[in-house]
Amino acid sequence: MNWRKIRTFLITLFVLLLIPATRFYQIDEPILRMFRNPRRVDPFSLHVEGEFVESNLGTEQNSDGSVTVRMIAQQYLFIPHCILVPAGVPVHLRITSPDAVHSLAFLGTDYNVKVTPGAISVAEMQLPRAGEYKTACREFCGAGHYAMRSVVKVVPQEQFPVLQPGERGACAAQ
Amino acid sequence: MPVPHNRNRSRSAFRLVGILFLVLTATVLLLRAGDNPGVHVPSYVEWTPETIATASSGDAFRGLLLSRHCEHCHGAEGFSQKADTPNLAGMDRLAIWKQLQDFRAGKRVSFPMNPIAQSLSTKDVADVVAYYAKLPVFYDPDDHRAFPEPAPDPVRKGVAWRLINFGDGERGIPPCQACHGPVAYRPGAPALLTQNGPYLLEQLEAFANDKRANDINEAMRTIAQLLTDDERHALAEYYGAGLGMNPGSAVAPR
Repeated sequence: MNWRKIRTFLITLFVLLLIPATRFYQIDEPILRMFRNPRRVDPFSLHVEGEFVESNLGTEQNSDGSVTVRMIAQQYLFIPHCILVPAGVPVHLRITSPDAVHSLAFLGTDYNVKVTPGAISVAEMQLPRAGEYKTACREFCGAGHYAMRSVVKVVPQEQFPVLQPGERGACAAQ
Repeated sequence: MPVPHNRNRSRSAFRLVGILFLVLTATVLLLRAGDNPGVHVPSYVEWTPETIATASSGDAFRGLLLSRHCEHCHGAEGFSQKADTPNLAGMDRLAIWKQLQDFRAGKRVSFPMNPIAQSLSTKDVADVVAYYAKLPVFYDPDDHRAFPEPAPDPVRKGVAWRLINFGDGERGIPPCQACHGPVAYRPGAPALLTQNGPYLLEQLEAFANDKRANDINEAMRTIAQLLTDDERHALAEYYGAGLGMNPGSAVAPR
């Protein structure tokens, strides 16, 4: 038993331990995420982890001037119930559902987004005129389907609040 | 001739392994400390099929024995004597299971319930829940209970009746009965057919003021904030009066 054997043994042991350790401590999450479908989410754990946790819902300001809006459509509510969007700016809508198939229709516009549990529905939209738009669910989703409505407030760009990186815009700020 | 043992080489190799180990530990600690610092998780309960199977696998007889600790406040028949304590008779098992899990995790705050729930194991919770789900909503008329209270005046009754049955589509308020029965239920939503009015009012106001925040995806917080103060009172009174009918003869909630 010379040192070379001990060294080989130790390095092998270290590497073998490294493999389960990366999985256990989830260090490999960023690498695994590259191979996963980015449009898929676990509908049961939306409120625990990931993109659709409570503090991440609402309007996010992007560095290029556009905004990202994250929403959840669930029986029988759109959350957040009122979203705030600047007029004439590209809006990236990201919406998912924890329970049933819904459809988010922006009344008075041409936009209608189908929402499926387990997948993130993405829409690129632009609302040129300021005002208050109503939205409604256009896919029968259960007993309270007809009351599943929400509000989109489109404000002129100069009235839209300046959002910090972690901050999300909401109607209450208006 | 054997190779002489090289002490310096061995020492430096050990040092290498040690440094690698330290670097790995530091990386892991940094990565774990960095994830989701300001995220409010309303509840750790996820309604996966496994969760529903665990919550529904209780032994009702063992729950009967355990429930002797609950009956001082929640009543021997599942109908409590105090109006601000919830009735548990005939409640859906997933509803009580979720609340007990949230009490255990401190996601819902209540002075007596947090330590009580923490003293129960996962199996105890499933058993107690199975027992209360089996209790009938046909209450004993001679029992000292707070339910039902006298019905509110017809105007408030009309407001509550409209909200419970139809909601308010203009404001985006879904009907209560779409989740809380008797028309339809969602997993984790309690049946409100035999619930105490003052308790319901307290919870609705806590949801509206963000004092209670254990509802998944902000559902009840959103609805409670959309309701006016008058509507919250009317709803609580109308539910507390057994929806204006004798719940003994009404449709039993599941």
